Amino acid sequence: MTASVQVLILGLLLGGVYALMASGLTLLFGVMRVVNLAHAAFIVLAAFLSFFLWEGLGIDPLVSLVVTVPVFFVFGMAIYRLVFPRIEGSPRFTEMTVLMTFGFAFIAEGLMSYFFTGIFRQTKPPYAQDAILLGPLYVPTGQLYAAITSIVLLVALWAFLKYTRTGYGVRATMQNRDAAQLVGVDVRRVSTVAFGIGMALAGAAGALISFVFPFYPSRHWQWIAILLALVVLGGMGSLKGAVVGALGLAVISSFISTHVGAVWAPITFFGALFLMLMIKPEGLFGKKARA
Amino acid sequence: MTDARTVDEAPAPAGTEERAPSSSRWWVLAAVLLVAIALPFARFLGSYNYVLQLGMIVLMWIALASSWNILGGYTGYISLGHNVFFGVGGYVAGMLLIELGWSPFLTAPLAGLVAMALGIVAGLITYRAHGTSFIISTVALLLVVSLLMDNWSYLGGSNGMSLPLPGFDPGWLKVPFYYAMLAAAIGAVILGYRVQHSKFGLALRAIASDEVKAEMAGINTRLYKVMAFSISAFFPGVVGALWGYNLSYLRPVIFLIISVAARMVLMSIVGGRGTVAGPVIGAILIIAIDEASVSFLGASELNLAVTGLLLVVTLLFFPQGIVGTLRERNRLPAWLDWD
Repeated sequence: MTASVQVLILGLLLGGVYALMASGLTLLFGVMRVVNLAHAAFIVLAAFLSFFLWEGLGIDPLVSLVVTVPVFFVFGMAIYRLVFPRIEGSPRFTEMTVLMTFGFAFIAEGLMSYFFTGIFRQTKPPYAQDAILLGPLYVPTGQLYAAITSIVLLVALWAFLKYTRTGYGVRATMQNRDAAQLVGVDVRRVSTVAFGIGMALAGAAGALISFVFPFYPSRHWQWIAILLALVVLGGMGSLKGAVVGALGLAVISSFISTHVGAVWAPITFFGALFLMLMIKPEGLFGKKARA
Repeated sequence: MTDARTVDEAPAPAGTEERAPSSSRWWVLAAVLLVAIALPFARFLGSYNYVLQLGMIVLMWIALASSWNILGGYTGYISLGHNVFFGVGGYVAGMLLIELGWSPFLTAPLAGLVAMALGIVAGLITYRAHGTSFIISTVALLLVVSLLMDNWSYLGGSNGMSLPLPGFDPGWLKVPFYYAMLAAAIGAVILGYRVQHSKFGLALRAIASDEVKAEMAGINTRLYKVMAFSISAFFPGVVGALWGYNLSYLRPVIFLIISVAARMVLMSIVGGRGTVAGPVIGAILIIAIDEASVSFLGASELNLAVTGLLLVVTLLFFPQGIVGTLRERNRLPAWLDWD
């Protein structure tokens, strides 16, 4: 029993981090119909940024959020402005964005491998190796802090979408892009901001994973596959779906990891994806429209 | 290539509606084929192993990209995990060689059939997925298979396993591989052409342009999609069998890293998705760029960045690819119009 509770706790903490990693991806899809295959590559890039801040200046990865988040926000807006207006009119826009960001992922991975090499990296702040003991249970502090930060950021994102004017615009665009345009939402501006936010979330996730997981440039493929599975599973563009999926599946994968073997944990996400595609292709909270 | 052909190309715009192929195209194709067949004999002129190896790689990629094009080009369903079939082919033929001593030259078609069977399974899992979810599920498929291969100790896990060398004269070792690859490449191109010019291909293109309308018109889109998935898996399986034997070892990282799939996608898109000649031109061009980039930049990770950059640039500036863009502008020379 305690063992199972222990696994549950670890799974939930992991799920919190996955939820943050997936939130940027699902936001981009929801607002702009952009599937960003390079999302995890950018998360790894942000993790490198945190790593170098830690190694070089001794800045705590949690503190480095104040650097990675704004840097990636601007970076995201720049990428959006540079690339996406050019392909906006193409008939299969979403597919186009998949291929385009597939290219970005290789560019990012290639450059990271070249400049930073393929060595396993990890920031090692003191709390990352520590744990809080609760009777027979232990809670690793690193993952706890990462999960708490994720939740705070997700709540902030939710509040932003719910209560700010730009947030209204973003939600309107998510619901119906053309209608939003019609009632006077500046869709181009909203999209630019949303892309910035999506990337800022990648920046935040990067800082957090830098002490939760060891990372190296090509690792992003494993993550992006898991994140994409979460996004499809939750319903393309549904933030709620991504969060619910992340928590649920991270718990299941923790059990598989404990009882079957750690290498098989990712199968949870892909198996769930295949099942969902066969039963309910639009996902948990998805609209029954074609992506 | 040479500029002599531009002379014959003049009547090309008028010849768009007739199906009778202009003779210049056949002359060019015959000449290319003859050169391809004669290439190994160049050995008598000196050491040509590098040229032969390069030729074999180009042929392999022609087969892979042309196969990808059946699903990704004609049907409009982009697979980012098509190298799964390449890997399955390699492992099936490799295991038959190790366990039963059957030569991969004979079992390559069988490996292709196993890949097709897997294609049916993958098609059945994903046949309700459209557009983006489909693409995502192919990424997941690739990761599931590579996870399996990395951890299946019978198949050597991530270390892979070595295969016995064929008992040929070492001087001519590459030649049978070369011809087998040539046969596979020709087969894949012909398959692409046949698909393009059949009712089946028409249905696939209907799915690509508007799946809902295609379904309304009475096309069994799901069946066709599963079929396209499985047909496009055959030649990757075949060349996987040959490639593994040629390397004489099997390892998941050779077959199952996503950059292999990216190559297939890139070649088809650069050459022109949904055209017969496109993947061929794309394969030749990308391998040439690759060789150049390796000799200028060294065999570094920058190659990966170059692959990505080419994809982005192509999509931004000529998304129809070389053949598609030229055709759109009515500048496609007859010898490149294989459709």
